[in-house]
Amino acid sequence: MTAIAFETPWVLTGLLLTLLPLIKTGIKPTAYSWPVMLPPDPLSMFFSGLLRLIGMATVTALILGLSGIYLKEQKMERVGHGAHIVLLLDRSNSMDNTFAGKAPNGVEESKSLAAKRLLSEFVDKRQQDRIGIAAYSTSPLFVMPLTENKQAIQSAISAMSTPALAYTNISKGLAMALSFFGQQPVTGARVLLLVSDGAAAIDPDSELELRKLFKESQVRLYWIFLRSQNSTGLNAVPENPRDDTADAMPERYLNLFFSSLNIPYQAYEAESPKAMQQAIHDIGQLENRPLHYYERIPKRDLTEACYQWATAMLGFLLMLKLFEVRIG
Amino acid sequence: MLNRQIAKDYRFWFLLLALATMLSSFVYPTKIEPRPTYQIIAIVDITRSMNAEDYHLDEKTVSRLEFVKHTLSELLLQLPCESKLGLGVFTDRRSTLLFDPIDVCTGHNELDAAIKALDWRMAWAADSRIASGLFSTLEMLKDRKETLLFMTDGHEAPPINPRYRTDFSSVKNKLKGLVVGIGGTQPVPIPKYNQRGECEGFYSVEDVPHRSAFGESDLNPEKIEGYNARNAPFGSAETIGTEHLSALNESYLSQLSLEAGFEYLHLTEPQTMLAKLEASNIYPVVKNSVADIRWQWAILALSLTIALWL
Repeated sequence: MTAIAFETPWVLTGLLLTLLPLIKTGIKPTAYSWPVMLPPDPLSMFFSGLLRLIGMATVTALILGLSGIYLKEQKMERVGHGAHIVLLLDRSNSMDNTFAGKAPNGVEESKSLAAKRLLSEFVDKRQQDRIGIAAYSTSPLFVMPLTENKQAIQSAISAMSTPALAYTNISKGLAMALSFFGQQPVTGARVLLLVSDGAAAIDPDSELELRKLFKESQVRLYWIFLRSQNSTGLNAVPENPRDDTADAMPERYLNLFFSSLNIPYQAYEAESPKAMQQAIHDIGQLENRPLHYYERIPKRDLTEACYQWATAMLGFLLMLKLFEVRIG
Repeated sequence: MLNRQIAKDYRFWFLLLALATMLSSFVYPTKIEPRPTYQIIAIVDITRSMNAEDYHLDEKTVSRLEFVKHTLSELLLQLPCESKLGLGVFTDRRSTLLFDPIDVCTGHNELDAAIKALDWRMAWAADSRIASGLFSTLEMLKDRKETLLFMTDGHEAPPINPRYRTDFSSVKNKLKGLVVGIGGTQPVPIPKYNQRGECEGFYSVEDVPHRSAFGESDLNPEKIEGYNARNAPFGSAETIGTEHLSALNESYLSQLSLEAGFEYLHLTEPQTMLAKLEASNIYPVVKNSVADIRWQWAILALSLTIALWL
């Protein structure tokens, strides 16, 4: 793989023009009675050849410049701090309520707005991470692939302020979020950060599938559970054992499911924007382990150098021209 | 030093000029040029009828959704830098924005991946209420400056009751944009997929309702067979229609776009999208961009240099 490329490669056909100085001399012919009579002049021969060479170099430099020559983007392996993070965001209707479970009234912000604000700050601080975003309600939504482009990630987070969708179907959302890691090499920490305010029962079919996916993708899972006031919470055990089912207490069962995956897992129950901020801060601290990552060295434009060369050559040609000696 | 003989040779002057040209290219390498850019939010219909296959790409039949994705990918390549594209999906009665507009040049890979990932399985509900979907989208985005592309085949499912129409007056002309009609005008069957995403043939006549059963009929009750105000407001006769087939409903979409203060475009070729945007003066946002004009200087110097050997 060569590192050199061109913006407009077809311009390179212009390199044929470099043959022109080979065909013609570029020196004004002087009439002479009988050229054979001229003694051999090695110095003149040398200058004639030099002129042609410089001429060819000038044309080549100009054509290369015109073709937009550049050095391709390079990747250099570095060791730093960061991770591949996939944010899985809950877009179900209840996210548009406040932590108190009411419609936002101007004093208290909704859970989705609090999440948007805090995640945006989080992304700002994670300069070396690659971040991707998936969302889910009744069905999973692919939002943004894993990328270093922080502006794109911020645009996706800011779109969270548009109204939320239908219900919570967490298993499909999880499957989609895990699929993000599928095409990526394992270079460092992989983090799945689930932000949701509720849970749903995972059906046995997808449960098996998810266990397999979690195992394969080697992720660390964080769940920021935005707990509303009337929610029972992750660790509550019901008084009546008959209520202890996945459908009645989805949060408790999802927590149990995650704990049983044998992967690093941490759940945070946030009952206010402040608690959520604390949770995000903690995750930021935890995920600062060394990571092999590739730093991108952006592509470098070489046209400027070409034009500088061409200019120098032209100056040289002009100088030689001034030394030209004419007879008669 | 400059002898008369040399001054007589055009080559000397050409060389001098070529050198001067290249030196100017370092002094004036750029020019400020006003250039049109486009700030777009594309909302794509991902309901089932968009799976109907009535487009051709590379001599293969593709679904409407595939064609929309292809068109958006092409548009992404054609849009000038500093243009921005945001993406959303529509199903049921409303749409959601996946992300706010992103620069098409710096965010090309991310945008392309997001476009490729559009899938009918993202739909959070199965109804296809075009008019109320368009209305709620306009309401959601009414304060924004971007150009909206609402890309749909106009197939309302289940059929709407013409008696209850969406009133667009509150959002009319708040937002500019296009209703982009997707699909062919010949009715084609709609593929039916099972839970695992495998194709299981097509929707049949029995699979879908062929008329609205909501509210009251807009017909005169005396004309309805078996009419009963409480028990059978739409009569007793079974309606068999062609709702299991899908064709682009152009007249309906142009009427909707008129009501919303939008323009209508039937998407036949991917290129028509940008051509339509360029043809109007309300969609382009003119931005002053710095254009590299060194190539103009270089061409001049090259011509002068070549002339030395002629």
